[in-house]
Amino acid sequence: MIKTVRPRIYSKFEINTIVFYGTILLFTPLVLVFTYVFGIEQVFDIKIYILILVIVSGIIGIVGTIILFIKRDHLKRQVKATYISEFYYLVTISIFGILGFIVLYNYLGGSPQYIANIFILLLVVFVYILLTLGRKFFNLNYSRKK
Amino acid sequence: MKKRPISDETLNRIIKFLAIIVLGFGVVLLAIQFQDFWNWILRAIRAVIIPIGLAYIGALIIFPLIKYLEKKGVGPRGFSLGLVFVLTVGLIFAAFYFLTPLIINEIRNFFADDFPIIVDYINNDLRGEFIFGVDLYDRIITFINETNVIADTVDSLVPNLIASLSNLLFPLLMAFALLPILLIFYLNDYEVISERIRSIIPPKHEKNAAELASRLNQTVGAYLRGQLILMIVLGAVATIVYKLIGLKYYFFFGFLVGVTNIIPYFGLLIAAIPPIVYSFIATSGPGPLLVLVVNVVLQFFEGNIFQPLIMSHQLSIHPIVIIISILFFGSLFGTLGVIFASPIAASIRVIYRFFRDLRQEKLKNNVTEATST
Repeated sequence: MIKTVRPRIYSKFEINTIVFYGTILLFTPLVLVFTYVFGIEQVFDIKIYILILVIVSGIIGIVGTIILFIKRDHLKRQVKATYISEFYYLVTISIFGILGFIVLYNYLGGSPQYIANIFILLLVVFVYILLTLGRKFFNLNYSRKK
Repeated sequence: MKKRPISDETLNRIIKFLAIIVLGFGVVLLAIQFQDFWNWILRAIRAVIIPIGLAYIGALIIFPLIKYLEKKGVGPRGFSLGLVFVLTVGLIFAAFYFLTPLIINEIRNFFADDFPIIVDYINNDLRGEFIFGVDLYDRIITFINETNVIADTVDSLVPNLIASLSNLLFPLLMAFALLPILLIFYLNDYEVISERIRSIIPPKHEKNAAELASRLNQTVGAYLRGQLILMIVLGAVATIVYKLIGLKYYFFFGFLVGVTNIIPYFGLLIAAIPPIVYSFIATSGPGPLLVLVVNVVLQFFEGNIFQPLIMSHQLSIHPIVIIISILFFGSLFGTLGVIFASPIAASIRVIYRFFRDLRQEKLKNNVTEATST
């Protein structure tokens, strides 16, 4: 008998947890990348600004974790076949997040000549993580014909 | 071999077809005979069509948000509509308030600092660096000076441009003034208006027309929402990357990427030319090769990540079809044709598929009827 491998469908709790911690991880670079365009470094001391952002993301992280645990049972009962929109959100913030990490590197005094190398490295890491997450948790079938 | 006689049904269809062609010719002949009258009628229609069309486009973008809020329990309609409306107006106002001074400042700086250098470069240094040789450069300059080609072209273009702008300006200003009011009424009574339009259609075709309208709304709405997000995302990414590589006027060039992205495939190409040319002439900042590489990478990301992600295969039309439709509708309707070429092509495909499905369903029903009897 041929055994068919059925993908495990994860509940909204697992997906929301991934999306939330992804957002928290990318929060500082995401804010940095948009403020960088408006030249925030000319107005504030950038190191204090980054510290404030890290503290804010920490606070949001703690509050979000508490909310996630309060809603845990309710979210665990909600299931979707695929989580495409959640995955798209993760991809979009990852693209800006990669650029944000480069801005962070720039602010922390990194040499501009290595920006391209860091960009490619970050891109490869993010693409690998996203592909793995997409296949395993978000139930996306990349080889499916359009 | 004996020829089969033409059936009454076929004959009827041919006569109908011929009558339509003759009528069409008649209308064209009338249009030529009473050109002033038709122009008058067309102007009146255009004055109505532009605001209504803009309101329809706005509704297609905003209505899903109102529906979403209502699904989440934010209501009644007036409240959710007000919320979305205030949010949209606020966002547009904030974008204008913060971005316009930055872009204007960059343009002003360009004309104050870099424009004289560029003019000086063209007048003095370009001759020595001209890649096709000094001889050809001198011939081109002599030709320009002798024929006065630049001044003549500007003289002939400017009055036409002013005339067409003044023709368009009034209806456009009217449309933008009317748009918020039209949009509020349209969104408030969205279902009622759809129902009224539906009631005009004869009952025999009502179901099919409703199905077709729903499919078209879905496709055009998805395209417009996707395109708007794509423009914002790409414009933002381009601005950030341009600043990262140290390109001057990154706001203006990034803004250009966002705006020109409304034209599929050609948009990014058009937006890539000014920064490349600028980096070629500028004495400081990144080299033209780096700017070119950034634009190629942007093009790659746009085609392979952003477009499929944001458009979510709603408009999975072959690139060749999109390019042909851009050329065709562009030559028919000008700039508007270029901008709306993709949704028009998608709508034509939706209509074609709808009628194909309808025919297949009809055939299936006929076969089932025949087998049951």
